[in-house]
Amino acid sequence: MSSGYKPDILWSPHHADRYVICDTELSLYRIGPAGSSETKAGALPLSEETAATLLAINSDTPYMKCVAWYPKHEPECLLAVGQANGRVVLTSLGQSHNSKCKELVGKEFVPKHARQCNTLAWNPVDSNWLAAGLDKHRADFSVLIWDISSKFSPEAVPAEKVRLSGDVDSGLVVTKPLYELGQNDACLSLCWLPRDHQKLLLAGMHRNLAIFDLRNTSQKTFVNTKAIQGVTVDPHFQDRVASFFEGQVAIWDLRKFEKPVFTLTEQPKPLTKVAWCPTRMGLLATLTRDSNIIRLYDMQHTPMPFGDEVEPTIIERSVQPCSESIISSFAWHPSAQNRMVVVSPNRVMNDFTVFERISLAWSSTTALMWACGRHLYECAEDAGQGVAATEKDIATKMRERAQSHYGHDTVQVWRNHVLAGGDDPQLRSLWYTLHYILHCSQYTENVEQKQQSNKQSLIYSGIKNIVKSSSGTTETRRCWSGSDRQTDVPRYHSEERSLALQLCGWIGRGPDIDVEPFLKSLEQEGEWERAAAVALFNLDIRRAIQILNKGASAEKGDLNLNVVAMALSGYTDEKNSLWREMCSSLRLQLKKPYLCIMFAFLTSEPGAYDAVLYESRVAVRDRVAFACMFLNDAQLPRYIDKLTNEMKEAGNLEGILLTGLTKDGVDLMESYVDRTGDVQTASFCMLKGSPGEVLKDPRVQCWIENYRNLLDAWRFWHKRAEFDIHRSKLDPSSKPLPQVFVSCNFCGKSISYSCSAMPHQGRGFSQYGVSGSPTKSKVTSCPGCRKPLPRCALCLMNMGTPVSSCPGTGKANEKADLTRDKKLAQFNNWFTWCHNCRHGGHAGHMLSWFRDHSECPVSACTCKCMQLDTTGNLVPSDSV
Amino acid sequence: MFVARSIAADHKDLIHDVSYDFHGRRMATCSSDQSMKVWDKGGNAEWNCTASWKTHSGSVWRVTWAHPEFGQVLASCSFDRTAIVWEEIVGESNDKQRGQSHWIKRTTLVDSRTSVTDVKFAPKHMGLMLTTCSADGVVRIYEAPDVMNLSQWSLQHEISSKLSCSCISWNPSSSRAHAPMIAVGSDDSNVTYGGKVQIYEYNEVTRKYAKAETLMTVTDAVHDIAFAPNLGRSFHVLAIATKDVRIFKLVPLRKDSSSSAPTKFEVQVLAQFDSHNSQVWRVSWNITSTLLASSGDDGCVRLWKANYMDNWKCTGILKGDGSPVSGQPGALSGILGSATAQRSFHLIWSKDYKVHCLPDLIFLSCLSDYLYILFL
Repeated sequence: MSSGYKPDILWSPHHADRYVICDTELSLYRIGPAGSSETKAGALPLSEETAATLLAINSDTPYMKCVAWYPKHEPECLLAVGQANGRVVLTSLGQSHNSKCKELVGKEFVPKHARQCNTLAWNPVDSNWLAAGLDKHRADFSVLIWDISSKFSPEAVPAEKVRLSGDVDSGLVVTKPLYELGQNDACLSLCWLPRDHQKLLLAGMHRNLAIFDLRNTSQKTFVNTKAIQGVTVDPHFQDRVASFFEGQVAIWDLRKFEKPVFTLTEQPKPLTKVAWCPTRMGLLATLTRDSNIIRLYDMQHTPMPFGDEVEPTIIERSVQPCSESIISSFAWHPSAQNRMVVVSPNRVMNDFTVFERISLAWSSTTALMWACGRHLYECAEDAGQGVAATEKDIATKMRERAQSHYGHDTVQVWRNHVLAGGDDPQLRSLWYTLHYILHCSQYTENVEQKQQSNKQSLIYSGIKNIVKSSSGTTETRRCWSGSDRQTDVPRYHSEERSLALQLCGWIGRGPDIDVEPFLKSLEQEGEWERAAAVALFNLDIRRAIQILNKGASAEKGDLNLNVVAMALSGYTDEKNSLWREMCSSLRLQLKKPYLCIMFAFLTSEPGAYDAVLYESRVAVRDRVAFACMFLNDAQLPRYIDKLTNEMKEAGNLEGILLTGLTKDGVDLMESYVDRTGDVQTASFCMLKGSPGEVLKDPRVQCWIENYRNLLDAWRFWHKRAEFDIHRSKLDPSSKPLPQVFVSCNFCGKSISYSCSAMPHQGRGFSQYGVSGSPTKSKVTSCPGCRKPLPRCALCLMNMGTPVSSCPGTGKANEKADLTRDKKLAQFNNWFTWCHNCRHGGHAGHMLSWFRDHSECPVSACTCKCMQLDTTGNLVPSDSV
Repeated sequence: MFVARSIAADHKDLIHDVSYDFHGRRMATCSSDQSMKVWDKGGNAEWNCTASWKTHSGSVWRVTWAHPEFGQVLASCSFDRTAIVWEEIVGESNDKQRGQSHWIKRTTLVDSRTSVTDVKFAPKHMGLMLTTCSADGVVRIYEAPDVMNLSQWSLQHEISSKLSCSCISWNPSSSRAHAPMIAVGSDDSNVTYGGKVQIYEYNEVTRKYAKAETLMTVTDAVHDIAFAPNLGRSFHVLAIATKDVRIFKLVPLRKDSSSSAPTKFEVQVLAQFDSHNSQVWRVSWNITSTLLASSGDDGCVRLWKANYMDNWKCTGILKGDGSPVSGQPGALSGILGSATAQRSFHLIWSKDYKVHCLPDLIFLSCLSDYLYILFL
């Protein structure tokens, strides 16, 4: 066992918290949670959670070669120590008060000839028997089985031997073994076979493994092998034995002892310890010399023969219990799952658990399931509120948004950003852009019917294209309103620029250019700085000051706004004034971007507005509106192009204002989807596009498909259906065809088709045979050939589902929903059948039947109609 | 943010794989005890085992669900050199009433001469196709030409990867711009040569799978591989479990559609984490591929998330034994829950935290090298 003075470890067979380290002396440790009151100050930390306390030291037995712990409960701390001279001494650690222990401690078992004791093993059943394996001495026996209960040598012992032992009087020296085995050989290791406690497996020098039966010691089964070190029996599979030699481990099956079942891949360095895990089936740990790695071999319990060859399943792993430092020895914990203590040559100990390999999977609803060992754990996302929106995963966000009908508000399009949570500035910008686009296009549709198509497509094509088509720009120089000072700030006007301003939301639709409504709405929302900036850019300095004053006096108003207003009122266009000088230097220290650009505007030279245009904290729409007012025809497209590319690259949805719903817009959306995975927003946004244009892009189709797939996976089938309805309104090409026709058995015509051909058919036809008019047919008969429809399997009446919402009448407008509800028969009267056995009846009847039955109501039909479709039994998760 | 809870699995040996179905309402597990179990989520959100049966004559490595469009179909693969396709049927017995469902073997795929290490269904849009890979380095692609008859599978493609295969992953993209693509990982332990991940792409012209990319930088044994759900993105993301967690981004370079050469990719490493300190065993993506979970030999499950700048960070560590920790995990996660509401801090479950409270601060100190400060 312990070669040289390298420490070895031994767990107590009964106390799960005690172990012994043996090198030159025996030290008993107790392991406990680190930092608990139980563990004292002097405890050695073993891991993050555990620490060991030294309980006792025993240095009575020098020249220790091997140690074995007494397997029975009482006395509990009895150890057998094999010494270099072949003697076996019983000793104890701190249990001397125990009477039985006292009796045994100090007992010595002396072989006839002194030689090294290599190994010791207690018999697992008859615990008085202790087997000792010794080196070879001429023709002497190398395995001695001692009975520790023997009081003295029953037969006469050569006197000199007794004298040599030095304990003549004590009666503690035993020299007569119970059995002697292995003549003319050495024993390197041995173990008792748990299946039959009379049997002993020996590994001898003569390159063989032998099984002796103590009932008949002359008989033995043996096999020649090099692997004769460290024989050890698998505690979970008692016919399986591991033994090793140099770097090779051989696994034996005692039932087929002729050759090893298999050998493990050879290690370059010699092995020092091989041990089966006591808590796991078929897990073998091996350690090589001067190594920091413990190799684990997970053997599947049934090595399967495939034809003639035998190929076991082995999952090999290696672990590093104490990172880089060398391991001297290790020992599995007898009961704690996969736990071991390892010890380094300098007696540094480490408590270590070999973790099972965990397999894991995410569900579509962001639950994580993992399997660790034999156990399963599910970790569901806590639906708990309070998780900040920025922390939420996009999957969670999309689910929540789907449930709040995000994207479905087609009247007040901007409101969709509120439905999305209202906390994402990009979404806010996107939906306002779409809102303005739709508004403008509706307006032009109403007002300018003539040039509609041209202008219509222009609106959708984004400001980038709008400003490109700009022509006939006029330049004006206006006075500051509310001040009679002349200004030399040129402002540019054109039809296209006004359109751009409309899309930016600065001015309303129509011919008049008035920002006042916009300012009012900004004031209402408390965006004082922004409102002031817009007022200022419209050259109304007085209005800007007024807004700032209002902002300062508003509830929770920022009093600093008054100071800003004051600074503003001192505006002078004098080039070298102190005001100008101070403003241009101090504005850089302003935290609020809109205040910053106000002063930047006032201090800039006309046409050189970079400080305004490239202030990235200012919303894109405001910068673009500003550019449309103050940049000339050469500068404007350049600026817009640059900004567009920036937005496209970043996937910033604010850029949709520039690109519109064009291919450019799809490019931008692509980089947004690449970045976020938000196919929901992408789908809804592109559906708003001018019919058919962008929707034909395969990328857009791909987003829509992916979004529908997500909704399906979440079982948001109602939401998916709503989405499809929404989609078909905006993209009529996506309308699916009817899926099922029911045709009459006799004439082969679709019964619903015939129905719709007779729009005046009575609905409430519950009585049969009352029909007089030839134009009306009974609902219980085929409208084509007047033959009766099949009977309901339960009430045995001919079925007649008053089907169809009369598609013949044409107008499928949603306002008819209510009336349609009334027209359509109750669901209970619907015609239903099992597609498998083709029996059916009234839906209400069938449902009530299957509430109590699993088989079809038709006699002798064993079809389990209701259970055929597992998906059909799933409940949509978005229905209340 | 996340609360873990244990489920009595009752497998007699190691569970090697868990797999959710499309809707996340069913789950299958497979184990070294040679059996498989199917679990259904009950109305009370509890998992009920509705089927358990012996499937193979060796350890069952992996189990996977087909899209429900093809019925309730499972595939498993095993050390016994076979892969099996299972279908749930509603038979003569009254199993279902007792809460049990019945799964029957539709076909056994016996082409491999060594352990079949992974099995995956191809994405739905490709039809009902099944892929296996085996320890002798062969990837096989089967197809059921008639989705109504699951006992007929024809071996369509055999790809030899030359290295012992441990895992495969289909690119889930349904975009027509992306050809069918499969990534294969090898657990070959010889680190002297790289390329433990190979990517094959279907070529419309030759009607064969051809190697499109080899990730030469992956030199250690690969234990798991997972393409991220594409979700309409223009590129592909691949997570690899090797001695660390690695995330690769594959950007297809434009090619003219007539060319028969495989797509060229620009390969970028998005992230590489060695915080498992040892071998990484599994990786899995959530449905939007915004969260990655990994497990490793440190016995922990780690969650990774990217911010908008593509910086990946660990957002959670969970102990693999799930055992909630000394004290009241509920209470603690409650604290953490409300704390994360306001600040972005990571949350850790482990045995080793100590909590100190100040009026508005909580210090969570771990004996490991983390210190968490939470603001309330």
